Amino acid sequence: MIPAPLASFDLLYLAREDHARTGSAWLGVMALQDIPAIAKALLAAGYHLEDISGLDAAEGAVAAYHFDHFTTPGRITLLALAPHDAPVFPSIAAIYQGAEWHERETRDFFGYVFTDNPNFIPLLLPDDMADIHPLKKPEAARASLLTLFAGEGRGSEVQRKAEGFTLLDQPAPTAADDAKAAPAEAKQPEAKADDQPDGGKDA
Amino acid sequence: MTRPIFSDTKGDFYSINFEKGARENTIILNMGPQHPSTHGVLRILLELDGEYIVRAEPVLGYLHRMHEKMGEVKTVGQYMANMGRVDYLHAMAWNWAWAGAAERLAGIEVPERAEYLRIIATELNRIASHQVWWGAYILDLGAFTPILYSFEDREKILDMLQMMSGARLTFSYFRLGGVANDVPPVFFDRLREFIPYMRNRLNMYHALVTGNMILKQRIEGIGVMDVDACNRYGATGPMCRGSGIAHDTRRAEPYGLYDRFDFNIPVYHEGCCMARYMVRLDEIEESLKILEQAVAAIPEGPVLPAKPLKFNAKLPAGEAYYAVEGGRGKIGVWVASDGGKTPYRIKLRAPGFSNLSIFSELAEGTLIADSIAILGSLDLVIPEVDR
Amino acid sequence: MNEFSLWTVFTLVVGLVAILAFIAGNAMALVWMERKVAGFIQRRPGPNQLGPAGVLQSVADAVKLLFKQILKPSNADSIIFFLAPILSFFPVALLFMPLPFSPFFTAYSPNLGLLLILAFSGINVLAVLLAGWSSNNKYSLYGAARGVSQSVAYEIPLLLAVLAIAFQHGTLNLSEIVEQQGGWPWQWNVFTQPLAFLIYFISIFGETNRSPFDLPEAESELTAGFHTEYSGMGFALFFLAEYANMVLVCCVATALFLGGWKGPFLDGFWWFLAKAYGLLFIMMWVRWTYPRARFDMLLNLNWKWLLPLGALNLLATAFVMKLF
Repeated sequence: MIPAPLASFDLLYLAREDHARTGSAWLGVMALQDIPAIAKALLAAGYHLEDISGLDAAEGAVAAYHFDHFTTPGRITLLALAPHDAPVFPSIAAIYQGAEWHERETRDFFGYVFTDNPNFIPLLLPDDMADIHPLKKPEAARASLLTLFAGEGRGSEVQRKAEGFTLLDQPAPTAADDAKAAPAEAKQPEAKADDQPDGGKDA
Repeated sequence: MTRPIFSDTKGDFYSINFEKGARENTIILNMGPQHPSTHGVLRILLELDGEYIVRAEPVLGYLHRMHEKMGEVKTVGQYMANMGRVDYLHAMAWNWAWAGAAERLAGIEVPERAEYLRIIATELNRIASHQVWWGAYILDLGAFTPILYSFEDREKILDMLQMMSGARLTFSYFRLGGVANDVPPVFFDRLREFIPYMRNRLNMYHALVTGNMILKQRIEGIGVMDVDACNRYGATGPMCRGSGIAHDTRRAEPYGLYDRFDFNIPVYHEGCCMARYMVRLDEIEESLKILEQAVAAIPEGPVLPAKPLKFNAKLPAGEAYYAVEGGRGKIGVWVASDGGKTPYRIKLRAPGFSNLSIFSELAEGTLIADSIAILGSLDLVIPEVDR
Repeated sequence: MNEFSLWTVFTLVVGLVAILAFIAGNAMALVWMERKVAGFIQRRPGPNQLGPAGVLQSVADAVKLLFKQILKPSNADSIIFFLAPILSFFPVALLFMPLPFSPFFTAYSPNLGLLLILAFSGINVLAVLLAGWSSNNKYSLYGAARGVSQSVAYEIPLLLAVLAIAFQHGTLNLSEIVEQQGGWPWQWNVFTQPLAFLIYFISIFGETNRSPFDLPEAESELTAGFHTEYSGMGFALFFLAEYANMVLVCCVATALFLGGWKGPFLDGFWWFLAKAYGLLFIMMWVRWTYPRARFDMLLNLNWKWLLPLGALNLLATAFVMKLF
């Protein structure tokens, strides 16, 4: 069953996850403009914010929000995607005050901008390092969302998917995606066979 | 060369920024980064009206080491050494969080004996962590003696942890798939002796300190936070359990073999410093209970899988979140891998980071002395907050 | 004391020199004792390297403090900054003059000895204020503000407690007050005036800035409070003054409440010192046992409890003295 606070929103993507494998109960992708409204609904339902984290993916700048509930545990991982050249997200610091620091930290590490954060100054890195974002990846090293969030054997049960949202589609329909995915898949079992013949095959 | 006149400088980036919002006729006091009760290098900017705090803003980053970046350039095995340095007081829990996240992603089974040893190590370390907090907190409140009593007991725990891991503070005892090595047989004798000894000492802690009238007046009803505040700031661990939320990651999402153990989650509803104090002391008792059961039930066997993950193993592509109950709250490690030599992204969720972010709200309108009591009750370990 | 003879001048000079030596010696002994007591309470050896049982540790510390560079913060008020430690120490030295260590060992025994002590002990507050003000440091300023309001507040119940004794004995001369008490514990004033003794003993913690009332220098809040910026001998003088003050208030308590030099047998200054050191030990015991009180608790205790009780006690004493 979809968690109640998420039910009323048109998420781009929502999948039930296998907790034993990913640690999350739900994985969702939010539209940028929905972030504050979703946060508000989650707070009203008693969810707390675990963290906000950046992730530099091939498709764009990702902000990952982890929410959990104190009495009915089930981690909700929500992603938001912004273009690399304009990583602007709406701030949720007015709703979750704890988010202020998480957003400032993400700004330090990735250079994201959270609009309406009440005190948007550097947090962990010195103020003269405002242009240096250590966790940003070079273009060539960026991994795709598909590799990271919809890998083989993940066991996601997709509950919702918006029209036109194809980033996390499992079997790649186009030839280009096919070619991209094939070497990655071929590489993985090999790596597993090298390092952990037992555990790797089960996964 | 002329000597710089420091008093003529107008402050640094943060104090200039802080002074912008100041009211008239208030004093801006810069507490830290070198201050006796900020436990390391936390800096807090205070706007004071007499002894009352109008506004408080913690300034972080003085102990920032970018562990998340280090995770992206180190292999999974190498990164284990970082974990002991994130939170030096409860290093075992961070060990577990990283080992757990990597194992979850790679799908490795842990042998049963190793699971038991992990629990023993983590719970011993949790007691040690709470002991340090207890002593340091009372020290913050002006009594010097208790910290020496608690350190005397902590020494016994460190001796045992040294038997397990060889280290006394920054442990790297966990391995992907198990633990580094088995313990010598004498370890269990020491542990069996320690449990009743510590129970005795815990009673002494209460008799010596908990009932003290000055202490009660100092911390009862100070720094009150409710369930809503816990949600808004993501405060976990003793912070939320002191506010009436029976949440413990060991129960909420059982990891390791915690679902086999019988222990209580101490909960207090007052939400004040005293509630958090009591939660932490009660947790020592609960940890002792877990240790007692672990010593009785630990099976023989290997402590690593037959073919463990090599220290330079590649993680399969994907992402995993692993949460562990640390001494300060919910420790989370989020690891994403693209199948490369090193992890693609590691996010460390430090409980102290979220717990400290509530300080501004709690300190508002209190006296300086109260703010010290509140700051101490957050149980901060600055390396963990700054990471 | 009517004529100002050469003999008086001689006793004064000898007394003053003896007192300075007494204070310095006592401060060293007390620092050593404080560390040993702390060590005993905290289950550790304390100083044990220098000399037998570490008795020379204080000497080494004194030498270190003498040789340390004296630093002055820029923008500090030079004159007041260096005046403050001197002002904090020397009035205390003067206050030892009227103390009756024994009928023989009294440097100067004026009729208003008690008044002298109460009046001059107020100067210490001024030193704290000046030190905090001149340091150009916000922590020092807070420490000074706390110190002044605390000392002013605690002087009143202290005065009331002492006045009750003066009423009872009809004199302000410390030697005479001791003379009127007997050698056995039940002949001491602590038995006739237990409430006054309690008020006095609580007040002296506030008066001497000792834990649990060490708010002016609360190290976990204000780093070191009013003497944050002092190093070397500046700090040493404050330190010396604190211990001299402790000795002083305990000596006064001994004279007023515990029968002074009188004991069950063999009257003499040894009884006086033994009793004073007993009180000093209790002060140390308290310091290493209790957490620090908060400021409003401190003032509440004073204005809501000690002051009314002290006034009542004084009233009751006056009433009883009038009746009998």
